[in-house]
Amino acid sequence: MKNYSIKLALLGLFTWTATSCSNFLEVNVNPNAPVGENLTLASKLPAALVATATQEATQLNQLGAFWSGYWGTSSEGLNAFYNEKIYSGQGIRDVRDGIPIWENSYNYLLYYKLMLDQSEQEGALFYAGISKIMMAWHFLQLVDIYNNVPYEEALLGSAVNRPKYEDGKAVYEKSINLITAGIQQINAATVAPKQDDIIFAGNKKLWSKFGNTIKLRALLRQSEQASQAAYIRTEIDKIVKEGSGFLSSSESALVQPGYLNTTGKLNPFYENFYRNSGGATVVNYTNIRPTNYVVEKLKGLSDPRLEALYVAVNGSYKGVDFGDPTVSTASNASNTSAFKGPLENGNKPAGLLKSSSQAAVLLSSFESLFLQAEAAQRGWIAGTATKYYADAISESFKYIMNENYNTAAYLQQKEVSLAEAPAPIARIIEQKWLALNSINSIQAWADYRRLGLPTIPNSLSAPNPTARPQRLMYPETENSTNREQVIAQGSDDILRTKVWWMK
Amino acid sequence: MNKFYTLLFILLGFLAYTPSSVAQEHLLIQGQVLDQENGAGIAGVSIYVKENAKSGSVITGSTGGFSIRAHSGQTLVLKHLSYTTNSIKIKSGAEKVTLYLVKENNILAEAMVTGALGIQRSAREVGASAQIVDNESLNAGKVVNPLLALSSKVAGLRINASDLTTGKTDPGVQVRLRGSRSLNRAKNDPIYVVDGFPVPDIARLNPNDIASITVLKGSNAAALYGSEGVNGALMITTKKGQRGVGEISVSNTTNFSRVFFLPPAQNRFGQGANGVYSPIISDSWGPAFDGTQKDFGPTINGFQPQALYAATKKDNRLQTFDTGVTSQSDISFSGGDDNGTYYMSVQDVRIKGIIPGDKSARTGARFNGTRKFNKLNTSYNVNYIHFNNNTTSDGPWPSVYDQPANIDYNSHRNWSDPSSPSHPLNWYNTSKKNPFFLADNTRNTAKQHTLNAKVELDYAFTDWFKAIYRVGMFNEQTESRVTVGKLASSIGARNVNGSVNDGQDNFTRLNNDFILSFNKDFGRFNTRLLLGQNIRMDDRKSIGIGANNLLFENIFNPGSRAGELNGAATLTKYRSLGTYGELTVGYNNYLFLTLTGRQDQVSVLSKNNRSYFYPGVSTSFVFTDAIPALKNSSILSFGKVYASFNRTGNVTLDPYRLNLTYTQTGGFPFGNLVGFTPGLTNPNALIEPEFVTSYETGFQLGLFNNRLHVDMAYAYSDSKGQIFEAVTSSATGFNKSIVNAGRLTNSIVELALQGAVVKNNNWNVDLGLNFSYTNNQVKELYTGNEFNIFRQQYAIVGEAYPTLKMKDFKRDDLGRIVVDKNGNISESADETVLGTMVPPYLFGFNTRVGYKGFQISAQFDARIGSWMYSEVVPRMYASGTHPETVKYNREEFILPNSVVENADGSFSENTSIMSKGDKAWWTAYGKIQTVTAAKADYLKLRELQISYTLPASLLGKQGVIKRATFGLVGNNLFIVTNKNNTIGDPEALYNGTDGYSSWRQIPSTRSFGFTANLTF
Repeated sequence: MKNYSIKLALLGLFTWTATSCSNFLEVNVNPNAPVGENLTLASKLPAALVATATQEATQLNQLGAFWSGYWGTSSEGLNAFYNEKIYSGQGIRDVRDGIPIWENSYNYLLYYKLMLDQSEQEGALFYAGISKIMMAWHFLQLVDIYNNVPYEEALLGSAVNRPKYEDGKAVYEKSINLITAGIQQINAATVAPKQDDIIFAGNKKLWSKFGNTIKLRALLRQSEQASQAAYIRTEIDKIVKEGSGFLSSSESALVQPGYLNTTGKLNPFYENFYRNSGGATVVNYTNIRPTNYVVEKLKGLSDPRLEALYVAVNGSYKGVDFGDPTVSTASNASNTSAFKGPLENGNKPAGLLKSSSQAAVLLSSFESLFLQAEAAQRGWIAGTATKYYADAISESFKYIMNENYNTAAYLQQKEVSLAEAPAPIARIIEQKWLALNSINSIQAWADYRRLGLPTIPNSLSAPNPTARPQRLMYPETENSTNREQVIAQGSDDILRTKVWWMK
Repeated sequence: MNKFYTLLFILLGFLAYTPSSVAQEHLLIQGQVLDQENGAGIAGVSIYVKENAKSGSVITGSTGGFSIRAHSGQTLVLKHLSYTTNSIKIKSGAEKVTLYLVKENNILAEAMVTGALGIQRSAREVGASAQIVDNESLNAGKVVNPLLALSSKVAGLRINASDLTTGKTDPGVQVRLRGSRSLNRAKNDPIYVVDGFPVPDIARLNPNDIASITVLKGSNAAALYGSEGVNGALMITTKKGQRGVGEISVSNTTNFSRVFFLPPAQNRFGQGANGVYSPIISDSWGPAFDGTQKDFGPTINGFQPQALYAATKKDNRLQTFDTGVTSQSDISFSGGDDNGTYYMSVQDVRIKGIIPGDKSARTGARFNGTRKFNKLNTSYNVNYIHFNNNTTSDGPWPSVYDQPANIDYNSHRNWSDPSSPSHPLNWYNTSKKNPFFLADNTRNTAKQHTLNAKVELDYAFTDWFKAIYRVGMFNEQTESRVTVGKLASSIGARNVNGSVNDGQDNFTRLNNDFILSFNKDFGRFNTRLLLGQNIRMDDRKSIGIGANNLLFENIFNPGSRAGELNGAATLTKYRSLGTYGELTVGYNNYLFLTLTGRQDQVSVLSKNNRSYFYPGVSTSFVFTDAIPALKNSSILSFGKVYASFNRTGNVTLDPYRLNLTYTQTGGFPFGNLVGFTPGLTNPNALIEPEFVTSYETGFQLGLFNNRLHVDMAYAYSDSKGQIFEAVTSSATGFNKSIVNAGRLTNSIVELALQGAVVKNNNWNVDLGLNFSYTNNQVKELYTGNEFNIFRQQYAIVGEAYPTLKMKDFKRDDLGRIVVDKNGNISESADETVLGTMVPPYLFGFNTRVGYKGFQISAQFDARIGSWMYSEVVPRMYASGTHPETVKYNREEFILPNSVVENADGSFSENTSIMSKGDKAWWTAYGKIQTVTAAKADYLKLRELQISYTLPASLLGKQGVIKRATFGLVGNNLFIVTNKNNTIGDPEALYNGTDGYSSWRQIPSTRSFGFTANLTF
C-alpha cells in the first residue's frame, strides 16, 4: 500500500508538471511600465517639453554662457569646465566627460517623432503641429552646433542604422518647412491640448507666433550669407502671409509643468546653478561667476539689472576673467559676485533666480522682440526697429526686475539709444546679449559666431589668442557607430571648421 | 606511524589469506577509511560490494566513516578520485574495520565526475573535459568566497576579483570559462549548480561545506542544463554525513590584510598652483616642500591654522587604510545510522575592511540529510546564510590620490570637532574632502538572508529503472540602506545633502526536475537513458524608496524630509520549461557514445520564437583498455581520447524587452500632470535564440603507474546571431538597439599536468601545472566594424573581445612625439589598437610538499598577453601627484625624443623648443590615453599554506581529539608585473569589466594569517 501511494504521488507530480503549462510562459507583459500604445498624447507631451526646456536652461545655456562672455569661474572652480576653457573639441565630444548635446537632442527628437507618428494616426492635428515645431527647434540647434547632421534618415530606429548626414543648409530649410507645416496643422486643428500643453495651454495663436519666431531666428542666422537673400525674402513673405506674427510683449514661451521644491522637480536652472531642494547651494554656485566683461558692461550703462542679477561684495560688483589659469585670492568665491537668488534678496524673487518653481524659458518675449528689431533694422519686416528695440529692453527689464520698470531714462543714454547708435545692428546685438545673459546663452554664442558681436574677450586658456570655438566636433558615439558618414563630412575641427551660416 | 602500517598490513594480510571456504555470513560492516599517510579520514570514498555492484555504493562521510551490508567472503571495492582504488575481502565477523587508501592524484580511470543534472558518472565515459577541485585544494588558501578559491586551479577557468582586491568586504567576482561567448558582457557567467539545483550565485556558500567542485567546461558538457550551461558549469557537491560514529570538526582561520601596489606618487611638491603655495588648493602644483610652517586651510573663527609644509615620512596615502582582519570560525557535525545520514555545519565569517569603518559578517548554517524508505531514497539540503555588510560607498581613496603629499591624514582622523581644520566645514579644500569624514558620513549597509533548500526523491522501480524528482527553492532577501549625513555650509562645494535610500529586494527561484533513468546491459553494451523535464520560475520584487533632502543630521528616515518621496517598485517574472534526454551507450566499458538533446521554451521571447531545440553528441574511448598490447604497460597506465560536438541555444534577453515601454522621467509626475518618455534602447520583438556551436577534442593520459596525469584539450566555439544591446548612432533616435547580430569565436588549447614526483613513507611532493591559451576573435558586429563597450574597451572585428583602443600622441613615422612651437604635445587623430584586455595565456602552478605531518602548498598564477589601463593616472597628472610631473623639477624642459613639424610636413628633431611642464601641459600629457596603459602581465604567489598535523600516535591515547592541524596561510604574497605597470594589480577589475582600473579602484590587498582545525 505504501509503495502504491508513493508511485501514485510520483505519477501525480509528473502529470502536474506536464499539464499545468498552457499559460505558464505567458508572463512577459511588463507589469512595471506601459507601452506607447497605451498612452495618450497628452501624457507624453509634457515630458518632451520639459526635456527640451531643461536642455535649453542647463546644457546649452551653460556652454553658451562660457563661450559668449557671461561666465567664468572662481578660484575654487579653477579645474572645473576645463574643456570649455581650453576649447577642447575632443574633450567635449568624449562619451564620458563630454557634453552629449548630439545624443540628447536626437533622443528628444525621438520623443517628438513618436508623438508625431501617433498624432498622425489619431488625426490629432494640434499635437502633430507641436511635434513638428519642436522637432524643427532641435534640428536647428543641431545644425548651429554640428553643421551637417542627419535629417531624412534620422529617427527611424533600426530601419536605418547609419543615417546619412545632410548639408546644414538643407536641414535648415527643411526645418523651416517643418514649422510652416506644423503651424498649418495647428491652425486646422479642431481639438486643442489642455493643461498638458505646458507652454501655451492649447493657444493656437501663440503656437503660431512661437513657430514664426523660431523661423525668424533661423532666417536671421543666415544674414551673413548674401546668397540667401532671396530665400530669406520668400520665407519672410510666407510668415507675413500666415499672419499670426511673432511673439510680442508678455508672450514668452515658458515651460511650466508645476516645478516644486523636490529633488528632480525644481526649475532646472535653479537646481543646477543655485540651490538644491534642501536649500543648500550647489557646487556650480561656488564655481561660476560673472565675467568682468559683463559686469563692466552693465556698470558702464548704469544698468539696474546688475543689482538684480548679482550679489555685491563689500558694496561693489566683481567678476572674473574666463579661463584665467592663475590662482588669486581676488578670484575666490567669497571675493566675487555670485548670482543673486531669493535668499540673497530678502526672500523676494531676484533677476535670474526667482524661486525654485519658476518657469523655464524656452524663447522669451524679449528675444523675439530683439529678433524683430534686427529684422526691421535690416528692412526684412515691417515696423520700426526702435520700437521693437525699446519693447525688447522693457520686456527684459520686466523679467529681470520683476516689475514694470520704467526704461525711459535708460533708453535715453547715448550708449543705449538705437537712434544714436553708429552701428545699429551692433547696438541691437549688444542689448540682446545683455538680455539673453544666462537665460538663453546659446543664442548669444550663435550671434557672436555670426557677427563677432559683442567684442567678447577670449578665454585666457585658449590655445592661442585668436582661437575661438566655431562648433562642436561630432561625438565619439557617432564616430564609432556611423563613422563613414562622419568622415564624409570632412574636418569637424572645433577651432577652424565653421557652420554653414558663418561668414 | 609504524603502528598504523603494521595494522594495515595485518589487516590486509588477514583479509587476503582468509580461507574462502568459510560459510557466508551477513554482515553490517561499519568502519572508517583513512589516509595511509596521515591517518586522516577520507570523505567521499565510494565503497561497493564487488560481487553485488548493482546494489549501489555508499560514500564515506567527512571523516571517512561508512557502513555497508555485505556477506563475508565478498570483496569491498574502495574508490576515490585522489586515491588508488583498493579491494578488500571481507572476513567473517569483521563488522568494525579500518581501511586505508594510498594517495594518488586525480586517477583518471576510475574518477567519478558530477555530470549534468548532478548525476555521478564515471569519468571514462565523459566525452568532454571536466576538472575536479576537491575540498582540500579548494580550501588551501582559506578563502572566504569559494569562487575566488578556485582561482588558477583549473585550466581555462579565469577568476577575477574586483572587490577582493579592492579591499571591500563583499567581494565581486567575474568568472569566465574558456573565454567569452557573448558580446553582452553580463551574460558570460557559467551556471552554478549546487547538488543538482541551479542557483544564481555561490559567493556566499561556505567553502568548507563543499566536498568537490566539478568544472564542466564549454557548452557541450553542460548541454543538459539548458541555455545557461552554454558558458560551462560549476557543479558543486556539498558534504554528506556518514553512517557510523558522529564527528565534530572545529576550525578557525584569522587573516590580516594590507593594501599594496598603490600607483606611485611624487613627494617633492605640495599644494598650490603655478609654483605658488595656496592654503586652500588641493592640487600639488605648489612650490617644493621646504619644511616650514604654513597657513593651512581657511581661517576658523578668525584663527588661521598652520601645518608643516613637507611630505609625511611614509606615503601619506597609506594612512587612510586600516589593517583588514578576516576571521572564519567553523563547526560541523556529521553522523548517521543505517537508514539516514546527516551533516550539519555552522560558519561565521567576520571581516573588518581595510577602509576605515568597513565591516561585514556572514553566518551560514547547513543541514544535509538523507533518509531511506525501502526503495525510496530521500535527501534534503537546507542552507541558510545571513550576511551583513556595512561599508562606505566608493571609498575615500579616490579623494586621496589627488591630494598632496603634505597632508598628514593621521592628524585628521578625528574630524568631528567643528573648530578643527579636519572638520568638513574647515577642510583646507572645498571640493576634495577629508577621507575619514567621507568614510564616516556615507554609509552603505545591507542585510541579506539567503535560504536554499532542496528535496530529492529517488525511487527505484526495478533495478534498471528509477525515477528522480527534485524540487528546490532559492530565496534571497536583501534589505539595503544608503545614508549620507547632512552637512550645511554657506559654501556650495562643502554642502552635503542629507539623504537616505532604503531598498528591499526579494528573489525567489523554484526549480523542478523530474527525471526517468533507465540503465540496462545488453551483452557487452551498457546503455543508459535519461529523460527529464525541467520547470523554472524566477520571481523578483525590488522596492526602493528614498529622500534626498533630510531635515536633520542624525535622523535617517524619509519621514523627516522636505519635498516629495521618491521610490519605485519593480516586479520581474521569468519562466522556462525544458524537456531533455540523454542516451549513453558504452561498449565493453572502453568505448562510449552519448547523445543529448533539449527542447527549451522561455517566457522572454515572442510566441513564435520562444521554443528551440539543441542537440549534442560526444564520444570517448579508453584505448588502454581496448588495445591488449597497451594493457599492463608500466609507462602508460591509462589513456582516453574524446571528442564532442554541440549546438547550444541560448537566450540572454531579460524579461520585458520585446516592446518599447515608457516611464515617467524629468521629475514627472508633477501633481496630476503626467509625462512619459520612451526608453532609449530600441527593443526588438523578433529576437530569436542565439546559438553557440562548439567542438572539443582531447585526451587524458595516466603515466608511470598513474604518477603523472596529462590532460589536454582543444576546443572551439562559434557564437552567432547574438542577442545584445548594440550601441547605435543616436541619430536613429535610440542610443542602443537590441539585436540578433555579431559573431564571436574562441579557439582554446588547455593542458593540465599533475604529478606525484616523490611519494614514500615520509615524503610526498606533488606538482601540478595548468595552462590555457584562448584565441578569442570578434568576427562580425552589428553596424560598423567596432563598437565601444565601456570606456576604452572596444569590440573590433578581427580583434579579441574586448580590445583596448585609445588615443596616442601625435607622432612622426619613427614614433617620436611631435611638439608644436609652444612645446605642446597633441593627440593622434585616430585611436590606436593596443591589444586584448583579457589575458590569452593563463598559467596555474601548484606544488605540495609533505613530510610526515608537515605540509607546504603553494599556488602560483600567471597571466600573460593582455593590456590594461587606469583612470587614476590622468587624474594624478592633472593634480600633480604623478611622479612624472616632477621629473623635470617643474621647470621648462625639452621633451626627450620629440620632433617638430617643418613647413613641408617633414619632421626634425626638437633641440630647442621647451615644453612648459606646468599643470596645463601635464594635464594634456595625462590625457593622452596611451600614457595610462600598460601590459597587464603578471606572476603572483596566490596562496601559500604551511600546516602541521599532529601525528595520530600523539593523539591516540586521549581519545577525545581525533585529529588536529595547525597552519599558516598567506594570499597574494608577491607579484611580478610588467615594468611599465605602475597602475596596480592587473587582476583587480572594476565592476566586472576587463583590464580597466577605475578612478574608484581601491588597491589590492595581501593577507597573512593562521588557521587551526580540530576534529573530535
